[in-house]
Amino acid sequence: MQQQSLAFRIMIWLGVAVLLVWSLGPIYWTLASAITPTTDFSSRPIHFVPIHFTLDHFERLLGINVDRIGGVEVWAQFRAALFNSIVAALASTVVCVAIAALGGYAFTRLTFPGRRVIFIAVVATLAIPGYAVLIPLYRLMTSLHMVDTFVGVTLIYVSAFLPLSLWLLKSVFESLPISIEEAAQLDGASRLYILFRIVLPLAAPGLTAAAILTFLGAWGQYAVPLIFSPTQTKPLTVLIPEFATKNFIDYGLITAAGSIAIIIPALVVIFLNRYLISGLLAGSAK
Amino acid sequence: MTAVAAMASERKRGAGGNTDAFLGVLLITPIVLVMAALVFFPLIDTVWDSLHRINPMQPGTPFIGLANYANMLTDGDVNASWINTLIYVVIAVTVETVAGVTGAALINQVKIGRQWVLAAVILPWALPGVVNATIWLWIYQPGAGLLNGILTAFGLPFENHVWFNDRTSAIIAVVTVHIWRMLPLTIVIVLAAMQSIPGELYEAARIDGASRTSMFGSITLPLIRSAIAMTNGTVAAFNFFDEAWVLAGPSLDTRPILIQIYLEAFQNLHFSYGMALSLVVTIVSLLVSLVYVVRVYRNTRLD
Repeated sequence: MQQQSLAFRIMIWLGVAVLLVWSLGPIYWTLASAITPTTDFSSRPIHFVPIHFTLDHFERLLGINVDRIGGVEVWAQFRAALFNSIVAALASTVVCVAIAALGGYAFTRLTFPGRRVIFIAVVATLAIPGYAVLIPLYRLMTSLHMVDTFVGVTLIYVSAFLPLSLWLLKSVFESLPISIEEAAQLDGASRLYILFRIVLPLAAPGLTAAAILTFLGAWGQYAVPLIFSPTQTKPLTVLIPEFATKNFIDYGLITAAGSIAIIIPALVVIFLNRYLISGLLAGSAK
Repeated sequence: MTAVAAMASERKRGAGGNTDAFLGVLLITPIVLVMAALVFFPLIDTVWDSLHRINPMQPGTPFIGLANYANMLTDGDVNASWINTLIYVVIAVTVETVAGVTGAALINQVKIGRQWVLAAVILPWALPGVVNATIWLWIYQPGAGLLNGILTAFGLPFENHVWFNDRTSAIIAVVTVHIWRMLPLTIVIVLAAMQSIPGELYEAARIDGASRTSMFGSITLPLIRSAIAMTNGTVAAFNFFDEAWVLAGPSLDTRPILIQIYLEAFQNLHFSYGMALSLVVTIVSLLVSLVYVVRVYRNTRLD
């Protein structure tokens, strides 16, 4: 290895510092604003580091000591939206990964008529922008009375994230050594036994990657729930911008709500980054 | 791999080929049902309905041929949103490519704590797009916003500057948020491509006395071309909605084509016109992806 000059290393570290400030700066600013008292927002010049600390915004958001803000029960809305986000994202993740795992195994190891055509057709939908089918979906969901239901929105998320999970899991199954499965078959194990007891446990990292991508995708959706989850099942992503567009613009509340919406993706990135990256790479190699 | 799988299934066919085929069909049934009902049927429906007038405010759904498509050509709002979309895509692809390759090259040089740097860099991508947009809405705020605060701290007269009064700055503000969210994806993909380049190539070049810059130009760049084409393809999917909607609402200055479709369909209730627009967007987006797929394929063959 050639010795790196000091100047070169300083340049690299400066570049990395810029990259980190660019990536984390806006997130830092959100967290800092969420603990800044509303009165400090009007001080000029603005303070880059909060000079007073408050949990007031979080208390208002979660309904501690406060019931209503501007005549609206913010905390009730917020808790419902948080609950709705979690339910829709978890349900879509479980359903999507489950049926992608079953189908992915079938597409990899079983022979049946039309398997290539069906696989290609499903994966090809990755190239279609999801927004392209929203209008006919809306008419379909209206006629089935499934607008603003968890079933409806979960099904839409599943249909949107299924191709990616399927693609990812098929490549994972293909990379598993077939000899183990053949040995089990010789011992008289059934296909389903092999799938559930041998293949799926071996594919756990791939399943995790597919689950993370689906969960983050569903958690972050905006246009879909704007149309399909307008009131009863409204998620955080639809509620948070409403704080900015309704009659009061309350940046303390917005940044506090944003901080909470950030927590789950941030935990995923910090603890499951390895799986996330492997999933992103497998997903992008289409 | 496939050959082995084929042989194995060949062997199976004697004993239980039919059971396998039956099980296979059974296991893919959920996928087929979901995709048929929620993707393929709506797509076909879009093609058919775009040839009719479908509007809940008007009775009947008469066949109108290609009228929706003809109207599109002279629709000022549609043309404006196409132009906005094109501007977004060009800026985003350019900046994300240059900054993404630079960022990946930087992280590739980091020896200690690389996974932490990478986690920090990925974070914006993992957050909900609309939360990102709301964060930036607060940053762009005229009075208490961070951006004006920083500019003022440097002594510039920006304290009450409104970024969305002017089309150019509004477009840049919207596309900045998109870049903030999507740059991590480019960095991750390009970084993986860089790490898969064998070290011997650099070793050999070094023995020949090549400089860092010439190694980057003659080894790294050609070998990450496919990765770059791939990331460009994902940007070109015209995925501009959340940022523009949260930051500037329906403003025509910043309106991308997806918001135009949303407004036509869900506010003006021109369902079939919206469907015709969606179909055009789908086709354009498929064509663009095709260009990139062909490019990746060519590069791979050359490698």
